[in-house]
Amino acid sequence: MEPAALRIAVLVLTGVIVALLGVLLGAWWTPFFVGAAFGLIIRRPAVAIPLGTVSGLLAWLFPLAGAQLRYGLGPTSVSLAEIMGFDHQGTLPVVLTLLVGTLLGLTGAWLACAVGMIVRPQPR
Amino acid sequence: MASAPKRRPRIRPIINLVAAILVTGMVLFVAFFPAGPLPALGPAFNPTSGAWTMAADAQVGDQTLRLQGLQQPVSVLFESNGTAHITAQTDHDLFLATGYVHARFRLFQMDLMRRQGEGRLSEIVGKAALDTDRFELQLGLLRTAQTEWSQLSTSDASRDALIAYAQGVNDRIGEAESAHQLDAMFTLLGYRPQPWSPIDSLLVKGDMTQTLNFTDTPLVMALLNKSLGTDLTSEWFPVQPPNLQAPYDPGPYAKASTAPIETVTQLTDAEAQSAEALYQRLAALPPGLISQGGASNNWAVAGAKSVSGGALLAGDPHLHLTLPAIWFQLTMDSPGYHAAGVSIPGTPVVLIGHNEHIAWSLTDAQNQQTFFYNEKEDNAHPGMYFWNGAWQKYRTVGYDIPVHGGQAAHVDVRLSVHGPVITERGQATSVWWAGNLPSQDLGVLLRIGQAANYQQFRDALRDWHSPTHNFVYADDKGNIGLISAGYYPLVAHGQPWLPMPGTGENDVTGTIPYDQIPQVYNPPDNIIWSANQRQVKASYPYYIGTASNFFDPGYRADEIHRVLSRPGKLSASDMMALQTDTRDFLASEMVPVLLQTLAGTQLSAKESAAVAQLRGWDYRMDADSVAATIWNAFWSAYLDETFSPWWKSRAVPVGREEEGNSNKLDDALGQDLETWTLHDPANRAFSAPGVGSRTAPDAQKAAFQKAVAQLAQKLGGAPSSWSWGRVHARQLENLAHITGLNYGPRQDRGDANTPLAAGGFPSTHGPSWRMVVDWGARSFQGVYPGGQSENPASPWYTNRVDTWWSGLLDPMLSADAAASAAGVKKWSLRP
Repeated sequence: MEPAALRIAVLVLTGVIVALLGVLLGAWWTPFFVGAAFGLIIRRPAVAIPLGTVSGLLAWLFPLAGAQLRYGLGPTSVSLAEIMGFDHQGTLPVVLTLLVGTLLGLTGAWLACAVGMIVRPQPR
Repeated sequence: MASAPKRRPRIRPIINLVAAILVTGMVLFVAFFPAGPLPALGPAFNPTSGAWTMAADAQVGDQTLRLQGLQQPVSVLFESNGTAHITAQTDHDLFLATGYVHARFRLFQMDLMRRQGEGRLSEIVGKAALDTDRFELQLGLLRTAQTEWSQLSTSDASRDALIAYAQGVNDRIGEAESAHQLDAMFTLLGYRPQPWSPIDSLLVKGDMTQTLNFTDTPLVMALLNKSLGTDLTSEWFPVQPPNLQAPYDPGPYAKASTAPIETVTQLTDAEAQSAEALYQRLAALPPGLISQGGASNNWAVAGAKSVSGGALLAGDPHLHLTLPAIWFQLTMDSPGYHAAGVSIPGTPVVLIGHNEHIAWSLTDAQNQQTFFYNEKEDNAHPGMYFWNGAWQKYRTVGYDIPVHGGQAAHVDVRLSVHGPVITERGQATSVWWAGNLPSQDLGVLLRIGQAANYQQFRDALRDWHSPTHNFVYADDKGNIGLISAGYYPLVAHGQPWLPMPGTGENDVTGTIPYDQIPQVYNPPDNIIWSANQRQVKASYPYYIGTASNFFDPGYRADEIHRVLSRPGKLSASDMMALQTDTRDFLASEMVPVLLQTLAGTQLSAKESAAVAQLRGWDYRMDADSVAATIWNAFWSAYLDETFSPWWKSRAVPVGREEEGNSNKLDDALGQDLETWTLHDPANRAFSAPGVGSRTAPDAQKAAFQKAVAQLAQKLGGAPSSWSWGRVHARQLENLAHITGLNYGPRQDRGDANTPLAAGGFPSTHGPSWRMVVDWGARSFQGVYPGGQSENPASPWYTNRVDTWWSGLLDPMLSADAAASAAGVKKWSLRP
C-alpha cells in the first residue's frame, strides 16, 4: 500500500473508532469533531469531507446495527414513526437517525476545511 | 522584469465558509435544540442513549440487580404475559421492590400522573397545558397530598410503605439514567424525571379521586334551573329516580327521615352568570379532570347460591381505556402483606384483588361529594368574604408554573372556609370537595389486604373518605358483603345540588355515620350487586345526591340483578358471561312498547324492514345485530323529538349529550322518558312549544321514522345490512395522546346500558379490569386491556387486548404456581 493511502486508511480507522467510542459513551456529537479533525488534518476537501461523512455515518450505524442484532429494531422503529406522526413508516426513523450522524460528520469536516482554506497560507 | 502576478480575490473560500457556517449552524441547531414538533435530534435519536433504547427496554430476561435500600434479597417473577410476582422477606423490601417494578415498566405514566396532580404539565408540554395546571393548583390536589403526608404519624405502616416505595422508584430512575435507559418519551420530550417522593404517590391517588368524583353537576343544575325554569328542572331532574331501580341496600334503615328536600328555587341572574362562566371553564378542561359519571360493575354470590359451594365475586371497574392501562397486575408477598390483583402505578398497594381469605372489588358510589358556594363579597372589604356573620380574609397561596418554551406563569389561589375559589372573574365561587379532605386511603388499602374476614374488612373501610366506593366482598367461608364506604356530606340547610350561598347557613356540617351508610352483609337472597346505581330506596333518610346527575340510570344494575336473581345456582362461568352481557335492559322495556305503537301504522318499505328486525330481537347489542343499531338510533331520536324543542325554545346553554363533563343529561332525561312512556304517555313534556299537543306514541312514531331515515342516509343499502358494528367501535387511547399508538377503533359490542359497558362512538371507556373469584374452587381470574409495559415496542404493550376483547380471563397465579409456569423470567434483587 502506498504510504499516502496507508496514512488515510489509518486516519479513517482512527476517526471511525474515536467517533464510535464517543457515541457509545453517550457523546453523540463526537462525529462532528472527528469530521472537523479530518478537515484540519487533511488539506484536500475532496478527501476530508467524504471521510468525515463516512465516519459520522458509521459511528451512528454500528450501534444501531448492534441493537438490531441484539434486540431487533422493527417494533421500536415503527413506534418511533408513530410517535413522530409518520404512521407505520418504520424506515423513516432509521433514515433520520443515520442522516443526523452523517450530517454531523459532514458538517464538521466541511466547516474545518472551509476555515482552513481561509486561514492557511495559499500555495503560490 | 515581469510584473508580480495580480492576487485574485478569495471570494470562493469566503462563500464556502459562509455556506459551511450556515449549514453547520442549521445541523447543530436541530441536533441540539427542539425545533417545532421535532425534538432535539441528537439526544433523541442517537443510537446508544436516545429513543432507540426502547428496543433494549422492551426485553425482559433473567437478571440480578442491586438496589439501594433493600434489606434482604427479593425475588421478582414475570409470567409470560408480564404479570409480576414480588416475594420479599420484609414488608419494607416488598414496597421498595414494588416501586422499582412499577417504575421499570411505567415511569413515564407515573410522572405524567404526578405532574397532572401537582400542576406541572406545562413544564414539559408548554402553554397548552397551562389551563389544566392552573385549575389543578386551584383545586388543590398538591395541598391535600402535602397535608396527608404531614398528618401520617411516624409509626404508620403506610408511611413506611410510601417511603420504601419512593426509594424503589428512585432506584430505577438512577439506574435508568446511568444506563441511558430512560423511557423514550423522556428523551423525546427532552427532560429527566425528578426523584419520586411519597407525596407523589398521594398525588396519584388524588388524580384518581378527582377523575372519579369531582363533578360540576351543581353548576349544570343552576343553568338548567335558570333556562328551563324551576318547575321543569325539578320535574325532569328530581332527587329520587323517576324509574324503577334495583338498589342493593333495600333497608330497613336505622334512622327516620330528616328534613325534607326543599323545592328548587329560582337563581338570581348573577348566580346564573357565575355558574355559566365556571361551567364553561370546567367544560374546557381536558377529559379526566372532571368525573364523567360512573360505569363500573361488581357483584357477589354467597356460597349457598354457587355451584362450587364457595362465594363468588366479580368486578369490572369501568374507566378510560388507555395504553398503558391504569392498572399493573402483580402479587405482593411479604411476612405482613399478601395480596394479588391490580395496583395503580405510583401507589404501593393492590387496589382490587384478593388475599388468602378475602376478595374485593369496587365501583364508584356516585354520591354527591362536590358542593359549590357563592361567596359574598363587597367593595368595602377587598380580599374578604362574609361568613358566619363576619368578614373573613381569604387565605392565599401562590404558585409558579414553569412553562416549557415560555415564561413561567403565576397563580394565586384564594381559599375560603369552604375550599378554593375556582372562578377567575365575577362572582367568587368556591368548591367544597371531599377529595380535598385528607384521607389516608393507602393505609385503608393496606389493612384491606391484610384482612381475613368481613369485620376486619369493614373496620378498615371506616377510614376511607373519598372517592366514595361500593366495596364488594366475598370470603373463603362463603360470606358476601357490600359497603359503600366514604364521606356522605350533610348540608345543614339549602339545596346542595345547586351552588349555595357561602355565608354559613348552608355549610357542610358532617357526614352520614358509618353504620348508616349503604351496606349489606349476607343478604337473604344470597346476591349483592352494584353498578353505580343509587344504593338505597327513597325511604333512606339522608340526601346523598340527585337521581339524575350523580347516580347511574340503573339499567346495568337492573340487568345484573335480573341475571343473578334467576332461580338456580351460579358458577364462575356465569360471572364471566355476565361481565360480557350485552343485553340492554332499557331496550327490553321500550322496544315492545314501540312495536305496539307502530302496529297498524302505515310504514315505508325500509321502516317495515326495520320493524321486522326489532321483532324477535333478544335486546343484545352484539356487533352483528341490526336491531341494536335501529334501537340505538330510535332512542336517540326519541330523546331529540321530546326534548330538543324545549332546549331550543328555552335556549338551554348546556348540551344534552356533552362529553367531557359530568353531565350526560340524556342519561337523566332518558329515565324520565322511560317512565313517561310506560306510565304517563300524556306527560306535558311531549307537547313542547312549537310542536303542538302530542303524546308518547306520537313522538315515538316521529322518532322511528327519523331514525330509519338517518340510518338509510348514513349506512345506505337494506336495513338488514345495518349491523351495530358498522356504527359502534371501541378504541384504547395512548396516554400521551399519540394517536398512532392507539389500539383501534375496532368494531365492538355493547352500549352504555349493557353490563359490558361501551358507551360512545367510538367507545373509549369500559371495563378496565375484569376479575372473577370462585372461593369454592379457589380459582382467581382476571385481565385488563393493554399490557404491563408502557413501551410501545414491548410485547407487553398490548398483549392482553385480544383475551380481554373476547371476554376471556387469565388465571391469576400465585407466586409459587407462576414459578413453574412456562416462559417465566426471574429477577433477583439484591441489597
